[in-house]
Amino acid sequence: MVRVRFQHLLKAALLAAFALFFMKLHLTGEISNYINPKYEIMSIIASWVFFLLFLIQLFRIWGRDDIHIDCSPACSHSHNGGTIKFIHYAIILFPLVTGFALPPTTLGASIAVNKGSILPHAGLMETHDEVISNENYMNEEEYNRKLASLEQAGLINMSSDMYSSYHGEMISNPEAFAGRKIKLSAFVYKEQGLEKQQFILARFLITHCIADASVLGLLTEFKQMPELKEDSWVELEGTIEVTTIHGQVLPVIKASDWRIIDEPIDPYVYPVLVKIV
Amino acid sequence: MVKLHSYLLDLTGLVVFVIVVYVVMFSQFAGEQVLNHIPNSFQQLNTIFLSILIEAIPFVLIGVFIAGFIQIFISEDHIRKWIPKTRWLGIFMGCVVGALFPACECGIVPIIRRLVAKGVPIYVAIGFMLTGPLINPIVVLSTYMAFGNDAKMALLRMGVGFLAALMIAFIISVLYKTNQFKHAINHPGSYSAHHHNQTFLQRLEGMINHSIDEFFDMGKFLIIGAFIAAFVQTYVPAQSLLLLGNGVIGSTIVMMGLAYFLSLCSEADAFIGASFMNLFTPTSILAFLVYGPMIDLKNTIMLLSVFRAKFVFVLLAIITAVVFIFVSLIGM
Repeated sequence: MVRVRFQHLLKAALLAAFALFFMKLHLTGEISNYINPKYEIMSIIASWVFFLLFLIQLFRIWGRDDIHIDCSPACSHSHNGGTIKFIHYAIILFPLVTGFALPPTTLGASIAVNKGSILPHAGLMETHDEVISNENYMNEEEYNRKLASLEQAGLINMSSDMYSSYHGEMISNPEAFAGRKIKLSAFVYKEQGLEKQQFILARFLITHCIADASVLGLLTEFKQMPELKEDSWVELEGTIEVTTIHGQVLPVIKASDWRIIDEPIDPYVYPVLVKIV
Repeated sequence: MVKLHSYLLDLTGLVVFVIVVYVVMFSQFAGEQVLNHIPNSFQQLNTIFLSILIEAIPFVLIGVFIAGFIQIFISEDHIRKWIPKTRWLGIFMGCVVGALFPACECGIVPIIRRLVAKGVPIYVAIGFMLTGPLINPIVVLSTYMAFGNDAKMALLRMGVGFLAALMIAFIISVLYKTNQFKHAINHPGSYSAHHHNQTFLQRLEGMINHSIDEFFDMGKFLIIGAFIAAFVQTYVPAQSLLLLGNGVIGSTIVMMGLAYFLSLCSEADAFIGASFMNLFTPTSILAFLVYGPMIDLKNTIMLLSVFRAKFVFVLLAIITAVVFIFVSLIGM
């Protein structure tokens, strides 16, 4: 007997919802709040695959009401009863509901504290000569010029594209930067053990997705205690000095001038990958 | 009749689409209403949770398509012909094929489930599962870059990982002879015969239908795993792990625990590992890099849906012990 097979109807609806969810992420640009833009293409393809699967699934909605109809005899799917099935589909539905209902947030101070610290993020990204596609690519010449400007420039400008590289250099070799002027935009947070007028200025480095974010933090010292809330973004200029905490040599920025800014459109920074042309 | 059928299809397609659009609109409306009542930390958790899913789902789709392909196009007879007769060669082959196969750990469980259902010995499949996500070009490259373009860590990761995988597969081959599935397979054997008469298109349709079912089967476990991993990241400070100690043994255990609970993609975990260089010993970082791709929280949950719980926990214990011992030996 031909009749609607409710489970297949549900699966079709969920596949369509997944397709729409991925499309929505791209149309609204929200995708960059979740993953490194260089992996966007994967999720665009996924969205089309879901749409295709939805169309194919439609053919299964009407048919004989026979559970094993397109299952091989050797299949090992679970064919459980009502309540368990309901829970299964509720689990699949859950990320779709929260995904459509809640806007993505930017990682902030609380996560930075969990990730643990101004502890040096060294050894990372010192020289680059690999060819990988990435949004944040530049050719070798440009990269070397930018890295060289770190040595000479009167003012070190921590731009988004070079942030992780400059930060790595500073952390691994603080003495070389003592006395240099620096300018950066970052969010602020406090960590246990800091003085009242000390804050950490940090950006998140995203390799793949938000789950693998690591904190690129710099210790910053103000002359008086500033009126700063955690998670606010500042643009700050200062001078780099060297300090020792727990036996580790760290750079510290003595703030000379700063102002509160809006959170930038792209709050994250990505590893630099050099394109060899 | 054909006309009626296509009319029905159009209609259901439309109905399904309307349902979906309605649900989407409703959840967005509901979201705006409750947004102010939801704590910020839950929103951060949700963002991390979704980002893991968005990153993993394309790889899961690849995994379920491969599983569907194996199910429909590869028969038990093929498998019997390909798998070496002796145990040693089988273990070696499992690990080498895994190393050559550029898999991601998100998609590997449906593939091994299908392989074992088709008669691949459990130890061959486990070898494949261990080296698949660990040894592939992208992982080598990202590890190389993450450690300041130093090849040593990347080479150690591959070498130690491969040897550990051989050892684990060997132990499994001694302990387990049967397939260890939670649910017995219904009537194995009779299946491939009845599929031989089908046209290519029918089989292709069968493969895609199978992939869809597999996606729903595996998807829910991926979702549970991703949620727990996001929960840990949001609410558990990494430094609380330091309580376990910061000697060589303590820090190795801490890093393996991190690798397990963070459930990172093997292509991205090198950068996280590198960020711990100043906090932990290189040995413990190596343990992090080898252990994470082999087993983690979200994979354990996916494995539990397929295999007997006892088998999964024994496997988990063996992987943990072998990786710990191998990495410690290298450290000395």
